[in-house]
This record gives sequence, C-alpha cells and structure tokens, in this order.
Amino acid sequence: MQSARANSVIMGHPLVIMGHPLFRRRNSGFTLIEVLLALGLTATLLGLLSSAVFMVASDWNRDSDRLDRDLDQSLAVLQLDRALHGAFPHSYMDREELIRRVYFRGEDATLSWVSTVSPQRRPGLIAWQLHNDPDLGVALKLAPAFTDNPDARLEAAEASLLLPGYRASFQYLYTELDESRQWTGEWLGDERLALPLAVYVLFEPMDGEGESLEVVARIRNEQHRSIQPNTVLRGIQ
Amino acid sequence: MKASNRAERGFTLLEVIVALAITGFVLGGLFTLLGASKQLSLRSSESLREAAELRAAVNFALLENEYNEVEPVLQSERFDMRDAELLDDPLRKTAGTTQALQSFEVLDRDRDQSVSGTRWVRLAAPR
Repeated sequence: MQSARANSVIMGHPLVIMGHPLFRRRNSGFTLIEVLLALGLTATLLGLLSSAVFMVASDWNRDSDRLDRDLDQSLAVLQLDRALHGAFPHSYMDREELIRRVYFRGEDATLSWVSTVSPQRRPGLIAWQLHNDPDLGVALKLAPAFTDNPDARLEAAEASLLLPGYRASFQYLYTELDESRQWTGEWLGDERLALPLAVYVLFEPMDGEGESLEVVARIRNEQHRSIQPNTVLRGIQ
Repeated sequence: MKASNRAERGFTLLEVIVALAITGFVLGGLFTLLGASKQLSLRSSESLREAAELRAAVNFALLENEYNEVEPVLQSERFDMRDAELLDDPLRKTAGTTQALQSFEVLDRDRDQSVSGTRWVRLAAPR
C-alpha cells in the first residue's frame, strides 16, 4: 500500500518527488529482511495479544465458575436449613415389638429424617438422607415417607451429589438432666421416641482448603402428638 | 486537492496523539469494566457465604432462649451474640407469666454491623 501510494505520488508530481531518496528506495519493493522483520513483529504482537485475551478469558471463566459454585452451595445450605427446620416426628409401626417408633436416625456422619419440606414441592412427607461419599462429597437421597419405615425406599433411591468436595458431620441438641442443653453426636429417634431440639451440621472441605459451611436448625415440633417417651416405655413394661 | 496533499504528508503529531488518546480511553474503559465485573463476582460470592454464616448465627441466637445457655457449637468466631433488655409488658396484662420477649443482637465483628431480633425467653420467676 505504501508503494502504491508512492507510485501515485510519483505520477502526480514526478519532478518534485523522484529526487527524494526515500521514495526511490520504496519504488524497488521490500527486501527479504524487511518482510521477515514485519512478519516477525506482526507474529509477536499477535502472540502477545492472543495470550492476553486467553488470560483474561480464563480469569473470567474461573470467576464465573466460582460464583456458580458459591450460588449452588448457598442454595443447598438454605434448602437443607429449611428441610431441617421442617423436620416432622414421623412414626411407623414396629411389627416385632408392636409399638410405634419415631423415624429420625442421626449419627455422626449420616442423618435420615422426615420433613414436611420437599424440594420438588411434592405433596406429603418426604424422607431425606444425607451421607458422605468418600470420593465425591455430601450426597442426598430423597424418598416419599408413607406410613411405614422409609429406610428401604431410601436405600433404593438414587443419590444426588449435593455439595461436591465437602464432608458433613452432625450434632444434635438435647436437654441434660440438670437442664443444661448440650450437643451429642448421635440421636436415634426410634429409641428416644422424639426428635432433638436442634440439629447442627458442619460441612468441611475435603482437601482442607476453603471455608467450612455451617447450618443450625431448630426443630419446632420435636414431640409426637400421641407418642410420648414415658407413656411408651410404661407400655413396654 | 489540497486535503489529499495534506494526507499524503503522513500524520501530524497532534493526530497521532489524539488517536492514541482515543485508543487509550477505549482500552481503559474496557479494562475498568473487566476489573469491575471481577470485583463484583468476588464480592457477591463473598456475601453469599456471609449470608449463610449469618443465618447459622441468628438461628443459634434463637436457640438460646430458655433457662440455661446452650453449649456453644459454631466454629466461625466472626459473630458476637448479645442479649438486650426484655421488652415492655403489654398494657393489659392480667397475670404474671414466666414467658417474656427479649431482644437480641448478632454483631458482625469484621464489618461492624449488627442484626437484631426478638425471641421468647423463659424467666426464672413470673413477672
């Protein structure tokens, strides 16, 4: 383009410009070295530009991934919070001992309970189960709670990964005999015949990096309306 | 004809400076936008996490409402719970009860902000 422009200049004003050394050289075209130099410069510039664009794009991706992950986590935590607040003293008949038992199996690393809250807004009560998958993270199983023990249905239900890369541990609040209220690592509803006063869940990252998540949920209706611990125990004796 | 003559002489210093300035403004605007969006995403993921933490702290404060205090369980030491005074009795209260409303505050140490609420407490003696 430069030489074309020089040409037109020469055609316009031959006498004035022909004498100039710069334009005489331009007329003869580019030398190999000039072309190589120009190509090299262009390549360097393009390389720098593309690496900058790549860096910016990957940074952007990382940020949006992180935001997505945090959104998913807070949604999961809120949903669990709600489901634990809505825990219900669901009872079923124990055919061997012929008594009604309350379904709530809380251990150190797993928790199964029945809640009035369901994530798909299905009618009726839903049995929830949280457990730790040692490779993946905290997994959740859901099954409808009918009048029987929902354990078998929970066992058959498909687990979905709730919090990838996290490990859950649970504690349950109860009133001690001296009326102080303390946390314990195990609460079996079929023995205690009531729900705990509150559940505390701690989600810790598996690799030890990042922050842990906590949930505290007060269980409002921890007592079954007809099964009271004392009456049932009297019934057995 | 005169204009084309001027164009053939190349760019003047002023033109180059103006062109550079425009390019600089556009690039600067782009990078500011990029930086702002990055900061926004960081801040929003931070506040999502804070909201979950605060929720746990408020729920814990609501638990502490009867005779004895609850054994502390929360790991994050960011929030400080403070009891405030009992609310006034209603005007037409006919008999003493052990139930009363108490306001409480959850203080965020990092941000120096607080969330306040009201909870039922059970008193040792009726009033």
